[in-house]
Parts: sequence; structure tokens; C-alpha cells
Amino acid sequence: MAHNAGVSFGRRLKRDMRMNWSVYLLFVPILVYFIIFSYLPMFGIVMAFQDFKPTLGFFKSEFVGFANFIKFFTDPEFVRILRNTLAISLLNLCINFPLTIVFALLLNEITRTKFKKVVQTISYLPYFISAVVICGLIIEFVSSNGVITDILVMFGFPRENLLQNPKYFWGIYVFSEIWQGLGYGSIIFIAAITGVSQELHEAAAIDGANRLKRVWHITLPSLLPVIITMLVLRIGMLMSVGFDKILLLYNPSIYETSDVISTHVARMGIERMQYGYSAAVGLFNSVVGTLLLLISNTLSKRLASTSVF
Amino acid sequence: MIEKRSVSRVIFNICNYGFMIGLCVICIAPLWHVLMASISDPRMLMANSGILWKPAGNITFEGYKLVFRNDFILKGYVNTLFYVTTSTLLGTMLTVLAGFVLSRQTMLRTPFTIFVIFTMMFSGGLIPSYMVNRSLGLVNNMLSVIIPGVINAFYIIIMKNAFEQLSSSYEESAKLDGASSLRIMVSILMPLVKSTIAVVAMFTIVMQWNAWYPASIYLPKRRDLWPLQLIMREILVQNDVSKVLTAGDAVKKADMVGNLVKYCITIVGTLPILCAYPFAQKYFVTGVTLGGVKG
Repeated sequence: MAHNAGVSFGRRLKRDMRMNWSVYLLFVPILVYFIIFSYLPMFGIVMAFQDFKPTLGFFKSEFVGFANFIKFFTDPEFVRILRNTLAISLLNLCINFPLTIVFALLLNEITRTKFKKVVQTISYLPYFISAVVICGLIIEFVSSNGVITDILVMFGFPRENLLQNPKYFWGIYVFSEIWQGLGYGSIIFIAAITGVSQELHEAAAIDGANRLKRVWHITLPSLLPVIITMLVLRIGMLMSVGFDKILLLYNPSIYETSDVISTHVARMGIERMQYGYSAAVGLFNSVVGTLLLLISNTLSKRLASTSVF
Repeated sequence: MIEKRSVSRVIFNICNYGFMIGLCVICIAPLWHVLMASISDPRMLMANSGILWKPAGNITFEGYKLVFRNDFILKGYVNTLFYVTTSTLLGTMLTVLAGFVLSRQTMLRTPFTIFVIFTMMFSGGLIPSYMVNRSLGLVNNMLSVIIPGVINAFYIIIMKNAFEQLSSSYEESAKLDGASSLRIMVSILMPLVKSTIAVVAMFTIVMQWNAWYPASIYLPKRRDLWPLQLIMREILVQNDVSKVLTAGDAVKKADMVGNLVKYCITIVGTLPILCAYPFAQKYFVTGVTLGGVKG
């Protein structure tokens, strides 16, 4: 505003606050909440560089530089949990993500509206079931006489409790994620498909393009921005893989394939009380996560000229 | 559009419908199995393998009687209801408030928005948050399940977008009449964004109903404050029914009844959410779209 140009910022702010005092007042609880529960923990990251003792607190605990990080990187478990984290989340991304798109495309081909609605409602259902119940079901179904074990036995696998054998864990986890997230993950694509111009389809049909060609040349390209946005977000979450489900499912006999960074943090920090060390591991995890998000965002900007931010 | 009825199209349709039906069966089968098992004869249940499509043996509600007579489980149910109600009321209220403030034309609007969004990108992580909450005295305190995480930046941004889409004429006329900001928000703007509020409330309800981890780290010694999910974890995941069954039951038929109780508590703990969500469906489709496209 031109007539304000000469007035100092402080003056203008004061006047704005006087005029809109009630709006500012309403923000106070929000401000306090985020300072305490989001910004204080951010400050608390200093403990990653400390030999943190709860009795001494953030201010009096001894600083140890990068000792916690060095301990983590030289730990024999480091390679294992990094591998598991990446393997589980990449498997999940590469299988689950395309499937949600395919499911959305197939559902779009269903012309009976009522049937479509019912399928949608039913396919969202597993998403709302709690992790505890899902894991309870998994434990039952893969136990030595569970349904899934029965099916595997038919294909010549030995009968055993699948959660006791490390080689099955990735498969169990990814399958349960598909079961739970297929319908729900497709919502956004279904919504985007509805927005695809019908005229383009009609024009292409007149030109003799069949269904498959139209899906490939019209529907998918129009979905591309949404697909890339979701992909970037998913890549940003690669490092924070399935924390509570793995915590519920894993046991020492399968740590080899099931222990991931976030569960390692929880176990070391909360159960074994190695606070400084586990804060350092957590910090490593979130730094890598943020880097992945930035890289994938830049790539999508370069390659497809769409980006999340 | 007129579609050519080619042979390949018909085959595709048959496969597609078949696939969709199969998918629905796979989605429902595990829950159906649990429902059927929960009313089965526990002795027959032990011998059964595979998915139960109908109850094994005579239908019995013995398991449900046990579940509903059990003080421990009932207490968990009451706790969960309390946590869900309080955190939904508080969370939704604060989210609306924050969304409203961030959508107003004040000078600090941009800094405030950045202040909120920043928490979406960076967080202290599990351990520093635990330490902060611990020093606030939240360990073994029921507030630990309600307060941390009661609002999040993502919902605030969704709320802010909803308020911003409203025409400013509503507000201006009310301002001329001398209404305060709070009043404008409550009586004029909130009714106009009620579907977004419903989305936020619904996601908070589901999140809180299903949550078990915060309670497990903040309330380790206060079993009387445990939400239902934590009790379910003990029974379903850790396979321990000893604390749920009374002495008399345990001696007589612990194994069989324990098995039945597992199924019954799964149904009791899941059904309320599953009954509610088809009604909320029309809201969460808009909610996810809003969040995904703009968030």
C-alpha cells in the first residue's frame, strides 16, 4: 500500500495488531502449541550430539560431538537396518504405487455406477482397520496352520510359522500394505480421472483409437501431474517406513530382515534408554528423508516440469 | 459415447468385473472370518483350518459375554471413547481456529503460515519429542495420549484453503454490523466450511481410535488408562489372555475361550469405525483430494 510506504514496519505492525487484535489473540494457543510440541523437540535435536542424561537435561548433558553418529555408522547393525529400510520401502513403492494407478484405471472402465460405488467402499475398508488388528490377523494367517501358510504349502513350501523365518518378512509386509492401501491409495487417481476431458476421448474414438490406446495416450498423460506429485511425496517418506506395523510384527528371530531405522530408534531409545544415540539415528533418518524429497522434487521439475513445491 | 461391442471388449469386461469381485472378497474375507469365528463353538474352532465362511459348530455368544463382562476390556473401551472425544473436539476446534487465522488478511499471515508449514517439513523426531513430553510431566498422564499430535499442520492448511475459498462479502457485512472475529468465524464462516471440518474430525477420530503407540510409551505402568488398542495388542499380538480372563475361566478352559476372546475383541474394537465410515465416505473423498491437490 502506497500511503504506508513511509511508515516503519514496526508502526504498521502495531496498527495492524490494534485493528485485528482479536485475530492475533486467536492465534496465541496455536503458537504456544507448536512452540512446545514441534519447535522444542527440534531444539532437542542437540541431544544427538550429547551423552544425554534425562536428569541433566538438554543444557547440562555432556557434549560428545559426533560420537553418537560414529557409533551408529560403525555398528554392524547399521548396514542391515539401512538395507531393510530401503528394501522394504522400495519394494512397497515399486509394487504398491503402480497397482493403485492400475486399480483406478480398471475401476474407471466399470460402467455400472452402483457396482463401482460398492467396490470403492469395500476397497477402502481395510485402510480404516487398526494396525493392531491387521497385525493380529497377519499373525493368525501366517502361523504354522494359517490360511496363507496353507496356500504356500500347496505350492511346495515347508510348513512353518512364516513370521519366524526371516526370508518371508518383506513379502508379508508388502502384501499387507497392498491389502490395506490399494483402494485408499487410488482415491486421488480416481478423482483425477473423472476430471479428464471427455471430448478428447470422443475425438480419439472417432479417429479409431481403441480403449487401450486412449488410456495410454489420453488418460495417463492427463494423470501425470498427480502421479508425479504423489510419487515425490512417497519418495520423501521412504525412510519412515511402516513404523508401527513392523514394531508389532517383528521379533528377535527375524530382526535380520525386519529391523528398520525407525524401529531401531524406538527400541534403542525408549526400551534401552540410549537417548543420545537414538536421537542421532533419528536425525540421520530425517536428514536422508528430506534429501530424498528435495532430490525427487528437483528431478520431477526437470523431467516433467511439475513439482510439489 | 456409443461404444463398439467388440469381442475383446466383452472379454475385458468379464475379466474386469471378475477382478473387482475377487478384490472385494479378499478385502472382506479376513474380517468375515473373524466375525464367523467369534460366534463359533470354541472346540470346533480349534480343529478348523482355513477361512471360516460360516460359524463352526453351534452359534454361541459366550465370547462376547466374556468380553462385555470383563472390567479390564470395558475400561479400555471407555478410555478409548474418552480419548477419541476429547482429542476430536480439541483438535478440530484448534484446527478451525488456526485455519481461520491464517486465512485472514493480517500482516503476519505469511510468517504465521510458514511457522505452521515448517513443522510439516521438519520434526525433532521420536526421542527428542519423548524427552520434551517427559519433562512436561506427561509420562503416566492421560494427557500424553490427547495433547501431543492433537493438531497438525496438514489439516490446518486444508482448513485455511477452505476459508480462503469463501467470498469476503459475508465477513464484511458482519463486520459492519459490529461482529467480532470469533463471532464471524463461529456463526457465519464455520457453517460454510462444515464439510472440511467433517473431514478433519473424521480423520482425527480414526487416528485416535486406532492409536496404540503413544499410550504404549507414555502409559507403560498405567493399565487403568490404556486405550482399547493397547489391550488388544496384548491379546492379539503378544498372545497373552492371562490378564483378561478371570481366575475361574483361566483354570477351566483358558485355551479355548482365550481363542474365542481374541476374535470377539477384534470385532468389538473394529466394528464401530467400520460402521461409521461408509457414511463419512463422501467427505473423505473430497478431503483427500483437497489435501493431495493443494497440500
